[in-house]
Amino acid sequence: MGAAVGLGLLLALARAGEGPLDDPDQAWQRPGFLDAGDLPATAPTMAPGVPARRRPTVVFFLRPGDSLAELCHALAASRLPAQAATAVVVAGSTPDRCAAVGALVADPNGAVAEAYGLRRPGGGGPPVGYAVVDAAGAIRYRTLDPEVADQLDEVGTIVAALS
Amino acid sequence: MPAAAAGRSSALRVCAWCVIAVLGEIGLYASYRGHDARFHWFTHFFVGASLALVVMALVAARIRRPVPLPLVWPLLGHVVAMFPDFLFAADIAHQRWMDVFLGHISTHFVPGRNLTWYLVFLACLGAYLAVLDRLGPQGR
Repeated sequence: MGAAVGLGLLLALARAGEGPLDDPDQAWQRPGFLDAGDLPATAPTMAPGVPARRRPTVVFFLRPGDSLAELCHALAASRLPAQAATAVVVAGSTPDRCAAVGALVADPNGAVAEAYGLRRPGGGGPPVGYAVVDAAGAIRYRTLDPEVADQLDEVGTIVAALS
Repeated sequence: MPAAAAGRSSALRVCAWCVIAVLGEIGLYASYRGHDARFHWFTHFFVGASLALVVMALVAARIRRPVPLPLVWPLLGHVVAMFPDFLFAADIAHQRWMDVFLGHISTHFVPGRNLTWYLVFLACLGAYLAVLDRLGPQGR
């Protein structure tokens, strides 16, 4: 019985340990399968050629700051650019440069993130996560993921599931 | 072997399996990446352990004594429930059919989420303990 109570306490601690960038409903964070909820949905065009046609596109959503540099560095060392086109949407002003990313898009009022259906983080503000668009231009996967730069293999697994 | 020594040996064996089960659970937790993996660990633990407790209760009622190695059964249930996560680590994304592993996909989306599964787990634990209680002193 002590273990049962302990598990309850751990469950409460885990809930309290969620960060402000996490999805308030954890079931929707990194679900790991395509077409969850109301997906697939048509991916809006955010810039010429973005998302790409005839090739999957991974659209990352970030906030301004160090996270873009971290993602760029991780992308350059990952298999993802070989699997899919990439784009980074940065909430706020015009983003910095990033050679490893196909397109950089500023999203000052959050319209792109909203059009892609990214969920709101528990702490409010713009989402940090990504969406995966298939070669036909349909959003097949989207999630908040504050640690996405550390988990690009996982993004690659989702992209591989498209084929 | 004297009865007291046999009892100590049996208790040590049970404790050894307890340690193995706890270490196994720690290993399963560590197999996830990302802090949000706690959510997934809890869901699959509660689901797998709940089914294990139901099976344990049925077996105990059938054989009229407690099941051997009681902490190992929930661990095995957990492994079955989270098996698609091992596949994911091997670059195989989840698919709907993976619900055959104790509802691996859909169990995350029940109303109440992990709190619901915790309550289910408590109910199953209570059922197993009730079966042991009905077996009398031999069952405790």
